[in-house]
Formats: sequence, C-alpha cells, structure tokens
Amino acid sequence: MAKREEPPKAKPRLLIRAGILIITHSLLVSVICCTAGVFALLLLPILAKNTYISENALLPGSARSMLSPHEFSDANKFVKEISSSNVEPASTGIETPRLIAQHIADLGGEVSYHKFHPQLNKFHPLHFFSSPDPGIVQVNYSCSSYGINTVGIIRAPRGDGKEAIVLVTPYNSLNITPGEALSLGLAYSVFSLLTRVSWLAKDVIWLAADSRHGEYAPVAAWLRDYHAPTFGGPRKPNAEICGESALYESKANQFMGSKIADHFRRAGTIAAGLVIKVADRSVDITRDTLSIYAEASNGQMPNLDLINTVNYLAVHGQGLLVKVEKFWSFLHSKWLKVFGEIFESVGKVAKSLNPQWVFGISAMEYIEGTATLASSLYNQALGVPTGPHGAFRDYQVDAITMEISPKLYWSHKAKQAEVFLRGGRLVLLFPFKTFMLVEGVLRSINNLLEKFHQSFFLYLLTSPSKFVSVGVYMIAFALLVAPLPVVAASLYSDANKRGPTSVKHKLSSSPISVDEAHITFRSWRWLSAAKTVFIVHLWGAVVTLMPYFICQLPNCTPTTSLLVWVSLSVFGLVVLHLVLGSPSAFVSASQPQEKEWALLKSVTVSAAFVGLCLMSVINFATAEIGALLIVPMCLMALPVRLNTSAHKFRAVARAAFNVVFILVGCPVVAFFMLKGVFEGFKNINVGEFWFWVESLWVWNSATYIFICMVHLPCWVLCIYILLHPC
Amino acid sequence: MEVPPQKKRPWFWSWSIAAVIFRLVLVYFPSSLNLSSRPEVSTPVTSLRRLAEGYWLKQSSMSPYADFVTALLIRATGQNLQVAYGRSLELLGLSRVSENSEFLPSGDIAALLYLWNPFTIVTCVGSSTSPVENFFIVLSLYGACTRLVPLAAFGWVIASHLSLYPAVIVIPAVLLLGYGPDAPPRKYLLQSNDANFGDNLSSDSSSEHRGLKTPAVKPANFLWRPVVLFLSWASVWALYVVVLCWMSVKEYGGLWEMFKRTYGFIITVQDLSPNIGVLWYFFAEVFDFFRSFFLIVFHMNILVMILPLAIRLNHRPFFLAVVYIAISSMLKSYPSVSDSALYLSLLALFINELADIQFSFFLFCGYVGVSLLSPVMHNLWIWRGTGNANFYFATAMAYACFQIVLVVECVNAMLNHDRMIRKKLSTTKA
Repeated sequence: MAKREEPPKAKPRLLIRAGILIITHSLLVSVICCTAGVFALLLLPILAKNTYISENALLPGSARSMLSPHEFSDANKFVKEISSSNVEPASTGIETPRLIAQHIADLGGEVSYHKFHPQLNKFHPLHFFSSPDPGIVQVNYSCSSYGINTVGIIRAPRGDGKEAIVLVTPYNSLNITPGEALSLGLAYSVFSLLTRVSWLAKDVIWLAADSRHGEYAPVAAWLRDYHAPTFGGPRKPNAEICGESALYESKANQFMGSKIADHFRRAGTIAAGLVIKVADRSVDITRDTLSIYAEASNGQMPNLDLINTVNYLAVHGQGLLVKVEKFWSFLHSKWLKVFGEIFESVGKVAKSLNPQWVFGISAMEYIEGTATLASSLYNQALGVPTGPHGAFRDYQVDAITMEISPKLYWSHKAKQAEVFLRGGRLVLLFPFKTFMLVEGVLRSINNLLEKFHQSFFLYLLTSPSKFVSVGVYMIAFALLVAPLPVVAASLYSDANKRGPTSVKHKLSSSPISVDEAHITFRSWRWLSAAKTVFIVHLWGAVVTLMPYFICQLPNCTPTTSLLVWVSLSVFGLVVLHLVLGSPSAFVSASQPQEKEWALLKSVTVSAAFVGLCLMSVINFATAEIGALLIVPMCLMALPVRLNTSAHKFRAVARAAFNVVFILVGCPVVAFFMLKGVFEGFKNINVGEFWFWVESLWVWNSATYIFICMVHLPCWVLCIYILLHPC
Repeated sequence: MEVPPQKKRPWFWSWSIAAVIFRLVLVYFPSSLNLSSRPEVSTPVTSLRRLAEGYWLKQSSMSPYADFVTALLIRATGQNLQVAYGRSLELLGLSRVSENSEFLPSGDIAALLYLWNPFTIVTCVGSSTSPVENFFIVLSLYGACTRLVPLAAFGWVIASHLSLYPAVIVIPAVLLLGYGPDAPPRKYLLQSNDANFGDNLSSDSSSEHRGLKTPAVKPANFLWRPVVLFLSWASVWALYVVVLCWMSVKEYGGLWEMFKRTYGFIITVQDLSPNIGVLWYFFAEVFDFFRSFFLIVFHMNILVMILPLAIRLNHRPFFLAVVYIAISSMLKSYPSVSDSALYLSLLALFINELADIQFSFFLFCGYVGVSLLSPVMHNLWIWRGTGNANFYFATAMAYACFQIVLVVECVNAMLNHDRMIRKKLSTTKA
C-alpha cells in the first residue's frame, strides 16, 4: 500500500521512497491511471478470448442423436391437445397441468404437483447477506391465486439418484401461447426420449412451471421447497384450506388413479438447470436463432462451461444462430466506429511489423463486441435476473435460459393460430434442431462427474463465443480506482504537514486546560472529518430504508413517491446538519485548521475506495460503472473558494469541471443520462427512476444498496467539499 | 484527580445507557441479522449454539467438552447486557486508578469505545460467550490495579479457565501488584530524585507525570507481599475451580477428559471451520505428520514474545497486559472480533501516551475495510460458490497484518513517549 503518511527521518527504505514519490506526484498518477482505466475498458472487446470447453468430461457432440419420428408425432399430438384444452372458456388453469401430468404418467415418469403461492417481492434490507431463507412469512392469499407446477421425474437407470438435471418450461396456465405450447411439446418429446434411453446417469426433472404469476416465481417457489425438506408427514402446502383444491385433487386422481404422488417428490442435487422457451416472434427469417440469457441476481453468472456447451452444440452441431443480448443503439454509434477503425488500423500496422502479433479485430466486430459487452455489464450491474434461471443461482446451481426463435414457423404472423393448429409438417422442421440441441446438452451434463467448477464464474461476454475473464477486466477497474488511495494519502500527509504543530504546542503549554477543543492530536486530527463522513453514510443508510415506508403510503404515483423520497432525504440531511453540524463547527472554529477540507476529502476518498472495492467483490459490473462516475467526481472535488487564489482561468475551468462531474455524478441525473444515451431523450418521465429503483429493491439487488450507501454519500460529501468555507 | 467527574458524568452516563438500549433494540429485533452464525463473531469456543450443544451432549451422558463452563456461561450469556454494562463501570474505575490525571478522560473514552465498538455490539447481539471471557480478563486487571488481590486472582483463574490464553496475564498482574500501575521507567525517577528535581517535575513538567507523584517520592521497590498473596489466592481459586469441575464431571470421564476436551481443543486446533484467524487454513493444508510440529511452532510464537516484552515494558504492566492480549488475539486458535474489541478499547486507556501513533488513519481504514470485506468474502465462498477459501483467508491475513502494524506502532509510540519524557527530564536538569 502506498499509504505512508510521513517520510521517516534520515534515509528511508526503497519501498517507502517509492511510496513517497508516488504520493508527491499524485496528480500525475491519478490522471494517468484514470485515463488508462477508461482506455483499458474500451480495449476489453479486443482482449476477449475465444471460449473453450474446459471440463473434459462434458464431451459435447460426441454421441449421435437418438431421435426417432415417434417422438415428434407424439409431441405434435401433445401440443395440439394442450392448445385445444386451453381454448375452453371455463378453464381455471387446472386442465393443462392435468394433461401434462397424465402424459408424463403414461410415459412412465413419476409425477407430482407442486402448489405454490407467489411470494410478494418485498424489500428485506437485512436479509441481504443471509442465505436463501426458507422461513419467509406466508401472506394470506385467496384460494384461486395459487399456481400449480407439474413435476415429472425420470429415475436414471445408471445413476444412484444423487444428482439431477432440471428442465424448465414456463407456461401460463390461464392463457397459453403457441410458443409456450411448443416449448412444452419440445420438453415432452425430450422427456419421452429420456424415458427410453439407457445412458442416463442423473435423474431428469421436468418442471412445467405455471407462470401465471410471472416466470420467476414458480421456479423460485419450487426450488425453495426442493431445498427445504419438511419432516413429518406428506406436505400439502396450503391445500387443505381450499375446498377447490380438494375437488381438483379428486378430479385428478379420478383420471389417473394413484399415479400422482400427493407429496413433494425430489431427486438428487441439481447439477444444472435449463429453461427452454420458444419465442412467439421470429427474429431472423433465414435461420433459427437461439438467445442465451444467463445473468442471475447480483450479476452472478453460471459457469462458462454451460454456456460453452450450449453454444458449441448450437453452432457446430445444429447450425443455429446464437445470440446474447446487446445494446442495439450502440451499433450505430459513430464514436465506437471511430474507435473500432483506430484499433483496426493499429492491429494492421502491428501485423505488418510482426506477423505473429494478431490482436486487431475488424471495426464491425469491435462495435458488436462493445454493444454486447455493454449489455452484459449493464445486466450484471442491475443485479436483476434476466429470467427464471436466476432462481437456480441462489442455490449454487448453474442454469441458463435458452430462448428459441424459429425461422419460418412464425413468419406468417397473421396466420399464427391456424398454422399452429394445423401443425404437422411445418412443426417437424423446426423442433428437429432444437430437440437435438437439448438432447445433446442434457447428454453432456449427464457426463459430468462433479458439479461445474472447471471454467470461469466471473466473466463478461462480448459475443456468445467470446469472453473477458476476471483477470482481464479487473485491470481496468484497478487502474480506475488506484488514484483514490494515492490521493487520500497525499492529501492526508499534506494536511498534516501544514497543520499546526500541535505536539509542540501541547508540550509547551504547561498549565493544562481541560477544554478538549484546544487539544489537537496531530495523528488524530482526521477524527472530526471521519465523523462527518460517518454521519453522511449513516444518513445514506436511512435513505436506503425510506422507500420501505414510502411504499406503504396509499395512492402514490411514482412521481410523487420519488418526490417524497427526495424531499425527505434532503430534509433529513438538513436536520442532521443543524443538529450535529453545530458541535463540529465549534471544533473547527476553535481549531485553526485551514486544511480541514483536505482531511475531509481524504476521508471521503478513502471511504469511496473501500466502498468501491467492496462492491467490486459483490458485483463487479456495478462497481465498474460506479467507479466511472465516482472516481472523477471525488478526485476533482475542491472547494470553490479555494480556487479564487489560483490562476483565474484555471480556477474557472476547475470549478466548471467540478460542477459538471457533480451534476453527472448525481444518481438521478446519471440514470436519465444513460437512459437518454441508450434510448433517446424523447419519452423521459421522472417517475421512471422510481420504477427502476423499485425494481432494484424488490429483487434485493446489491446495486440499490451501493447507490444509496456509497454513491449518494460520496456525492453529498463532494458537494460539501465544494461549498466548504476554507 | 482534578478531572471534573461531575461534569463528565452525565455525558458518559447518557452515552452508556444509549449503548445498552441500542443492544437491547438489536437483540429484540427479528433475528434476521443471524449474527450468531457469522464466523467472525462466534468461534467454536465462544458460540452459544455450541454451548447449547455441549449442554445437550452432557444431558445425553456423552462426554461434555464444556461442563462447569457450560452451566456458568448459559446463565451469564443471558445476562450479557448487564455484564457489558458492568464492564464499562469496571473500566471507568480502573482508569481512575491507572491514569490518575489526564486532560482527556481516557477511562470514559475507553469504556465508551468498548460499548460502542461495532465489534462488541455484534458479539453481544450474536450472543457469543466471549464477552464473558473479556469480562473476567478486565476483572482480573481491575483487581490488580486496585490491589484487590483476591479479585485479581479470581478473574485471572476464571479467565484462564474459560479460554486459556489469558493465562499470560499473570505476568503483568504480578508486575502491577509489585510495582504499581503504569509509570515512566523507574530509572528516570531515580535520576530525577538524585538531582532533587522530583517535586518540580511532577508539578509542572507534563501532565503525564502526575500519575507518579507517589512513586516519585518513594522510588518503587518490588513489593513481594501482594505478589505472594496473589499467587496463593490464585492457587486457592484454581483449586476451587478444579474441585468444582471434578464434582460436576466425575460421572462423565473425569477431570482428565475435561482438560483434553477443553484446553486440548484449544491447543490442538481440532476444529478447522473458518474464522478470522490464520490457523484454520494452515492446519487444513498441513500434512498430518507435520501437524504436531507446527502446533508447537505456532504456540511458541506467543510464548517467545512474552519475556522480551516483559523486560522492555516492565514499568508499564498494564500496557504490557494489553499488548499480550493483542498478540494472543492475533495468534490464538479461535479468534473472534470480540478479542480485538477488547484490546482496542483497552488501548484507548493510553490515549494520551499514544497520541502520536503513526498510521492511525491507515489502520482505521484497514480495520473498517477488512471488517466489511470479510463477510462479503465469506458470502462469496459459502453461499454463492463463486469464490473459494482463499478469498476469505486473504481477508484474515490482511486482518492479521493490520493487527501486527497496530501492535508494533503502539509499542513504538509508547517507547517514543518514554524517550520524550527522558529528553524533557534531561533538558530540565540542564
């Protein structure tokens, strides 16, 4: 660490001398480091490596598909039945589960229903770091609101029943769309194949998730019950209180006899989860496309091997077009194009100098990579899962969502329903590839000997087949935050050097006055600054908790809620300043510290450094975006009044930069600026920020805590420094 | 004595009552904090859960690894709050003795620091038993300072019985009883007495000197009587404890079994579940046939430092005790944050001597950073599965480094302080 406060006397050691050198040139160091950090971030798409399958046991694509026409005819029949069952007007959403259960039972799998109530996504500020907690309070629901997951299990003939793979197909039981029916059919065909094969070593669970309360809730509820064993008798969650469900049970049993278990069925530890969805719209007319969604809560990603396997099988096995999310607006950005061309030409020059240096990529590739990288960063930074696969990650299970958009199946949009019902020939063309893909992926995972551990967990994607690992992207972040401790140390040593030599003062004053204010411990002068910083951070914690109470206010539009929040926060700050500001003002008045702002800034910068480092461990993407906003703001912050003493032009420029950085650094402004850059400034509504924040805290995203407890206090402290009467 | 206690008192009382209320609020908060399972807070030796488990084991007539301790601690942990409160009083009284006159009321500050230290608060709310151990350590030191020999002996015996490491406190306790509380080196006094400057010095030179008014008049001789008394009392108490233990465990394997299960558990580092110390990782990695060798090496680490420190700091026995506590909390087999809470607040007793400590801001940032980073790393390793043991161990190592820097700088500052007094003396002489 380069935090040496003061140079020792005679001849300091080399390390200390180096530290002192860095600290005395802190301005230069910080400018260089920050520029390098931003540059390294722009360089990431070029530094991305091609993915490779790290776990040898996976062996993707080594076996031939065991596909037979039998599965397809069955699946078609199944899809037709499901879509016709749903057409009935009186359906209460129990027809489809019954149908699925019946088919699973006919195939010879174990069936059970899983009834669940959707959990209200509530803000639990203190639950944040605790484990996935099964003991969450149940709220009373009406009986009609519960959803029914249908769970089918195939026991592996070659396995010991200790491991399982989960296949999830979300569908809305109240109103099933053709895409959902097709995904059910797909899962059904895979399931029927797997009941016949002999190579299965892990149990396969098919979860037909009832997504009437959203796609995430049923999967999360099922996983929670799966991992929270209840002892003592069969478990019927809330079923007894509903007469309707009893009716439904008898009805179901009437069809199937005793095949359906009345308790929760389990298989082994879940090795991986695959969520299969079929899109209702076609993205590409010429090719089937597969979109992969992987981001779970707080920017956690599944093991890269899982994505690799899917990508490898989809591209090399089935010739699908694989996509991950990207920011489309980036593709037309002129700036990126300029950068891309520069990098391209540099790459060409380098190649002409030495043919072995192959690091340039084409401008188009660069732009695509940046768009994907930005989207990857943004989705991770939000901390909100991008699909039902997010629920798996809470139990350390790797899972992804595969969304398949067929090429010609939906190309006649007007005739969707008819085409669908006629089925037959057209359908056959499409699930063929997807079926083989799912089969291949399952077979690969089935080969696994241990859980996924070989490849990366911390990475950013720049395309489905390219990634930036943690070792590379950390450099950009480290460069960006490196100036913070240096500047803190330099400010601190400065303030200590020029401050009143209190030790001598203390010793020479023989009559001791008990008045505390007169005693200044040279080494402890930062305490009052630390107190200010601490109070502001405490205020940040209060601001964090406020929405919990604001939400309880009746009839609030988002805009008024936001206004209430902001005004309450400002009010709190003013009150704190009036109540607690007075003693500190007294101390600072009695202590002639002309450099007090420097100490304050030093402590602020240290706090920002600790906060950013902490966040980079929790959620790297948030920390990176936060650092881009916070670091320049913190480094630039200087009291306005101080500037008058300097050169006039420089002073004005400095003040202008300060104001700009602080304006951009405000979380609300930053949000709208980013939104404007990505989506245009046309339809911006103040209430949107509230929606955004609400979405963050209902998903228990760490980003919310970061914004309120690190970013916001830093911003306030920077304003405080700016207005400091030095 | 001229510290106006009347003035300070309302300020002190209100803050200490606020601290107790704060703990009560946290304790009765819905248990969503789940602190008692945090590795930083509760170690195998101090966890209440394990205590309950031990009690249960005893009930089911299996070998108890905490027996007399159990019964005592189950009661005492319930009264955790009162104990913390009582401890603050102890510290307050103790400070009056050891630091007679200061311009900063270091006793108040130390007591409040102890009460408001986040480390103490989390251990209290996490219902770990280490506050009880801390209580007995402080009790012993308090007894030694106030020359309540039986009390000091009792505190020492119980503290050593509870967690073994406080046994090293016997040296500072003996020095305290023999020489009296902390003072500048005695040879300075002798010098100044020789030059007949003693009276002048203690009245005007510096505030720190007032503490030695009495010793200045009568150069300190080592008083053997209280030391002998202390040792005999200690043996009485120890005998008493052993007899009690024997009575309570004779059905469950006898004393030897108990020693093996309690002290043996501490010494041989059998439980390798992660904590903020550095030993668990090491002993998880080490080959089995080297294990006993490294056990000896690690424990020697503490023992090696005892004698040199005792020689160098024998004029400041209380500070010596604090340094011992800090070192043992760094190197003990199952450390928790409450150990550092104890020595941090005890260090605050020397706030006037340590005013010029170097790197204070750096250390502060380090402590804050590590104490925030450690739970995050643990979360990453245990719950998310994206990290591994190295992540958590890295924070443990950083924590150990900060502790080392702190101890070194503190001792350094204290010795500098002594040098400064000597300089002062020589200038006044000349």
